[in-house]
Amino acid sequence: MNRRELMLSASAVAAATILPRAAFADPNRIDWITSSDQNVIDFWTNIVKPKFEAANAGLTINLVDGGDGAGLIAIASRALAALQTKTDPQVDFLEGYDTRIPKGGIEAGLWTDMSKAGLSNYSKINPLALDIPTNFPYRGSQVLLAYDTTKLPKEKAPKTWADLVAWIKANPGQFIYNRPDKGGSGGNFVNRAIFEANGKDPKVFTVDNYTQAKGDEMLGKAWAILNDLAPFMMDKGAYTSGNTQSIQLLSQGAVTMIPAWSDQSLSAIKQGVLPDTTGLVQLSDLGFPGGFTTCGVPANGANHAATLKMCDFLLSEEIQSAVLTELGGFPGVSWDYVSKDLQAKFADIVPKSIPVFPAGDWTKAVNDGWYRNVAPNIDRNAK
Amino acid sequence: MTSTAAALAAPVHKEKSGRLTGLLLVAIPVLLVVWLVIWPIVSAIVSTIWLPDQGGLSLKTYQFFFTDSYSLANLSLTLWTTAVVAVLLLLFCLPIALYLRFSTGRLGAYVQGLAIFPMFVPSIILSYAFIRVLGPNGMMDILLNAVHLPKIRTPYLTPWGPVIGLVWDNIPLTVLILVSGLGSISNAAVEAARDVGAKRFQVLWSIILPNLTNTLLVALSFTVLNIFSAFTLPYVLGPAAPEMMGPFMQRTFRDLNDPLNAITQAVVAFAFCLVFGLFYVASVARNRSR
Repeated sequence: MNRRELMLSASAVAAATILPRAAFADPNRIDWITSSDQNVIDFWTNIVKPKFEAANAGLTINLVDGGDGAGLIAIASRALAALQTKTDPQVDFLEGYDTRIPKGGIEAGLWTDMSKAGLSNYSKINPLALDIPTNFPYRGSQVLLAYDTTKLPKEKAPKTWADLVAWIKANPGQFIYNRPDKGGSGGNFVNRAIFEANGKDPKVFTVDNYTQAKGDEMLGKAWAILNDLAPFMMDKGAYTSGNTQSIQLLSQGAVTMIPAWSDQSLSAIKQGVLPDTTGLVQLSDLGFPGGFTTCGVPANGANHAATLKMCDFLLSEEIQSAVLTELGGFPGVSWDYVSKDLQAKFADIVPKSIPVFPAGDWTKAVNDGWYRNVAPNIDRNAK
Repeated sequence: MTSTAAALAAPVHKEKSGRLTGLLLVAIPVLLVVWLVIWPIVSAIVSTIWLPDQGGLSLKTYQFFFTDSYSLANLSLTLWTTAVVAVLLLLFCLPIALYLRFSTGRLGAYVQGLAIFPMFVPSIILSYAFIRVLGPNGMMDILLNAVHLPKIRTPYLTPWGPVIGLVWDNIPLTVLILVSGLGSISNAAVEAARDVGAKRFQVLWSIILPNLTNTLLVALSFTVLNIFSAFTLPYVLGPAAPEMMGPFMQRTFRDLNDPLNAITQAVVAFAFCLVFGLFYVASVARNRSR
């Protein structure tokens, strides 16, 4: 073999190794992928997976961390392409995903309509959690206020929106919330302001009643409230870019109070990220809204039937109670379907109703409107 | 580069198969560029100007971008950040590069190691470290407080946050490019100038800088492209509004579910980068023809 032949054969071998290998999904293995944080993956690894596999011999769940939402969008786009070429998308369940993306996916029939999928537990789902039928909710969480009790004694913590506004104005620079689209804690603070501006009635907002005129009018009143507060924010109108950064500022003592997710602040206190002296309080006139985590089930998944079985299992009382006790989240089913003693145990700290701000067009209008109307409207260098 | 060009041009009389091999060798990268770069650009441009629901050809999305004060504020912040970071980078990196070029011994190696270090720090880690150090009540404030000085106004969540982060992040690349450019300036030329009595500054101004313009242009175009498309640092450290094009595009695409306008923003950003790309190509071409 001369040198040229050697080079040729070597490169041929090298090329062969990088050829896409034909990969097939294992039968009876549910390929599960998430955009959520580690605490959710731990919950699935330690609770859902062992319980489901014990109850359904022969079926396994393959838990994969998809990184973030963008990672899942890439997987979903691949599933859409696979649908068009009638090949295996190699994914069965997307945890923490909004099926509105990729564009055209719902129209093409990529996502299973869960209301028609024959789930025996589907009717138990909290009506507030239902968004579009291809978005499948199973857990929720609520925003509350986290504050530093060394600077603000527990008994003086605000209990109503009016108290909160008064406190923020009396303590300039001691409050910060994150940009509404960058994390639910700031997002639901903004949503609470929107409820405040519109008669504290969450029912005014539904998934399908958004119109441009209504939005401009109803959200405009909320922008006025938030613009009024802006000069009293940390650094005269700074907004962090995520839940975690707000928690970091609270832990550094840079601010005294932030809105935070209930589950995230509980685990931050448990891990020592936030000190033991952190206080948590929920408003009593109307709580901060919460959100439900939705999932997508591609209709062309190789283990579609098994995945639907898992979805039904997720809504069972066993798992829904574990969401409450193990994950620190709220059940995706209505409270009536949680065990009686848990209902009693959490009755004091969890309000009977979690106000929910509808996803979809309203949220889109909030995200766009806040950036255009609240974020820039201040001269931060003004003394 | 000149010698490679000459070597490629010389064997014209050689057998044709040699030429074919050459073409085949470049074919793979060219095809990859066409597939992964050119094609997405073409498809992006086409999908933003050919809108079937608007009745075909339409510049509506571009009209919206260039009449929307919010989008324009984001674009101008991006240009401002790019310009400030580029100037600061040259101011910081040129002295480091000059030192590395003319220093001998151990200390130079350490300085080089230190200058390259930011390359190995992922920007997400840098961002959170930045909040700890320069953020409110961060290390800087603690140190200032220890010597009874007032707190600084934190650059975190202001346009200066991403500027500081991006300068730090881009130092290695700029220093490496400048050092390699300075390597082509011969010691003999510098010594000759010194022999006729040139001062340090005169050597820099009359001998080194004229020979370095090309390298500066290359360094500048590389960093400008990097900064223009920056995402993590402006996302975590920058203000909510105006925002840089990277976070703006991502937000339009993801949170507003508006791929069409996101692609429009991408095409606009691409057009600006193209200008700097042309600078780079022109300077390389000039170098080759010399």
